Amino acid sequence: MTRLFAVIERDLKKFKRNPVVLAMSILMPIIYLVILGNSFQGKLQALPVVFVDQDAGPSAKRFMENLRAVEAGPKTFSLLGSKDPKEAVEGVKKGIYKAAIIIPSDFSKRTFAKGRPEIGLFLDNTDGISSENIRNIVKSAVKATNTEYVAIRENPGEAIIRDIDLYSKVDYYQSLVPGVVIMAIFLGTLTTGAFNLVMDRFLGMDESYLLTPLSKSHIVGGLIISGLSITTLIAVFIFTVSMLITGIPLSRGLHQCASIFIIITLTTLCLLSLMFVILGRVGHPRIVGVLSGFLNVILFFPSGAVYPIASFPGWLKAFAKVNPEAYAVDALKAVLFKNAGLSVIAGDILFLFCFTALMMTLSILTFKRTL
Amino acid sequence: MQEKKAITVSEITKKFGTITAVDNVSFEVAEGEFFGFLGPNGAGKTTLIRMLTTLLKPTSGKAVVSCCDVAREPAAVRRAIGVVPQAMTSDLDLTGYENMDIYGRFYGIRSKERKERMRYLLDMVGLTARANDLVATYSGGMRRRLEIARVLVHKPKILFLDEPTIGLDPQSRRVVWGLLEKLMEDDSLTIFLTTHYMEEAEALCKRVAIIDAGKIIAIGSPDELKSQIPGNDIVSLSLAGFTESIVEKAESLPFVHRIVVEDDYIRAYVDSGAKNLPMLIDEVRSSGGTVLSATVHEQSLEDVFIHYTGKTIREEEAKKVSFLVGPGIPQKLGR
Ligand SMILES: Nc1ncnc2c1ncn2[C@@H]1O[C@H](COP(=O)(O)OP(=O)(O)O)[C@@H](O)[C@H]1O
Ligand SMILES: [Mg+2]
Repeated sequence: MTRLFAVIERDLKKFKRNPVVLAMSILMPIIYLVILGNSFQGKLQALPVVFVDQDAGPSAKRFMENLRAVEAGPKTFSLLGSKDPKEAVEGVKKGIYKAAIIIPSDFSKRTFAKGRPEIGLFLDNTDGISSENIRNIVKSAVKATNTEYVAIRENPGEAIIRDIDLYSKVDYYQSLVPGVVIMAIFLGTLTTGAFNLVMDRFLGMDESYLLTPLSKSHIVGGLIISGLSITTLIAVFIFTVSMLITGIPLSRGLHQCASIFIIITLTTLCLLSLMFVILGRVGHPRIVGVLSGFLNVILFFPSGAVYPIASFPGWLKAFAKVNPEAYAVDALKAVLFKNAGLSVIAGDILFLFCFTALMMTLSILTFKRTL
Repeated sequence: MQEKKAITVSEITKKFGTITAVDNVSFEVAEGEFFGFLGPNGAGKTTLIRMLTTLLKPTSGKAVVSCCDVAREPAAVRRAIGVVPQAMTSDLDLTGYENMDIYGRFYGIRSKERKERMRYLLDMVGLTARANDLVATYSGGMRRRLEIARVLVHKPKILFLDEPTIGLDPQSRRVVWGLLEKLMEDDSLTIFLTTHYMEEAEALCKRVAIIDAGKIIAIGSPDELKSQIPGNDIVSLSLAGFTESIVEKAESLPFVHRIVVEDDYIRAYVDSGAKNLPMLIDEVRSSGGTVLSATVHEQSLEDVFIHYTGKTIREEEAKKVSFLVGPGIPQKLGR
């Protein structure tokens, strides 16, 4: 035990003396939450759109009213008037506007005469999401212009859909929290544990302790335990901060907190041992750098943290079945948003546990006690 | 032989792909002996030490260190030895004290015993006053001394040192030498050292093996080794108007044993070089040569190396560049 504790203490002391690493491990996931939370909130806002109304007839007016309603309501775009169609189109090309809408002078006339009225819509289609949204809004505005105005309330035959939320409402910002916590765990496990072994090896430090009577399990176990304590601490901190930022209520109190702590600890252990298997024989930190980006993409994106697993194609779904981060996200979501107890997430916990046990065994087996 | 052997190596070989780093080497080291391996960079010293200290598996052959086979009982060997690797391996982010303390705990030494031993060792290497400073603030020499003290915490029977003074300034080197001499006073401690500094081998080692390209080319006490080359001094002359007859004439002088012609100078193995130098110069003049410069030095292990390999350790050194080995330089590069 003295030996194991010595390995742990060495690692923790070295970590403590490098506060920059700690600051980065805490800041990055939080910045990630703030940026991801604000950059694509699921809806678009204030896209600049220019219009040129050369008609000014009744139909054109009606069409413009429909657009103005969108500008005032969902605020998807802000409308700017112009006289010169050429200049408007140029503006789109230069990137000043996301789109230019041009209503030709014969628009109202053709509408009345049922003579195929046309509206020019010039889109900056290099920005796929914006242009698709604007196209749809303009389409429905045109449709509304063509159909006679009927108030919904005067239409008795229409069925009414009433949304029933099964759980208390989760907004986009809150839904990111499990992903951010998993991200924090991933970063923590990448920069502790096996990484310290790689660094020691790179600097030739490993030689000094390989020469001592430390066993494989002392070395691997010690590094995993110190990595676990550091990463768990960071993840719990990140979790608390993101709960405060996004305001998710922990209505079931202690029980819920305990479940979350168990998930965080187990996920950390799981990723730490996975890293040991992957990095166990790596001798250069640059390889870790290259692998980190790759691992983050293949573990995080198919985890269901940003996009539901149900919408994945079959092969990716199959991958998510063995991806430990997917189980961690699933468990966290259940506990956070559905107030699930431990029994509901037992499957996730069991998987994480087995995965950890397998990786831990593999990492000790593959660890080389020689240079 | 009656005395007990600390190290017995028989026909050990290590190959890295096509490179044979250590080539069929055999030797013995007696208990309590100060034994040295002298050889240029790349000779295979580090590879040999790594095999003896369980870090590398030999390709073939066998080594018994402190009564245990390194391949079969590595754990027992590790408990009996202390090793200072070529690269500096103390943690920069820890204090000298912490470095030693954690190392002692790797060996499972109890707190009370450990603390006593550390106090004694820190005092011995002269680091008591700096023990609570981060190693990052130490000089290369201090760091090396700490590393030597560190591997003595568990009272090893055999101490291995791989080029302990490499990259140190002359003054720090002397401090380390003094330290090793003090350690040698303990008769039960066997010391195995590698170096490419012939002064170091000569000053410290009771017995030296000279190694080149993975092979032992000579083994014995420094005096025995030097007695294998003719004469007792070396005179180096650089000449203008060199001819074969100059060499023949000079070689016929009674005090000259042998002359070796190098690219830009000739080397004479002579007796009493300082006294006989004028006569040698006269002889060269009378056969039509001009002496541009002359040096006389007492024979050293360097000359033994030159005698057997035809090249100097320093030449080898210059080719291999010494930037590889400063303090804290990745040992991957230093290998
Ligand atoms: N890990 C390795 N892989 C390949 N070649 C190596 C390795 N380690 C050492 N060598 C080669 O073995 C030879 C001896 O190296 P080494 O034992 O480090 O010499 P020394 O310590 O005497 O300078 C060198 O040619 C070196 O390049
Ligand atoms: Mg070496």
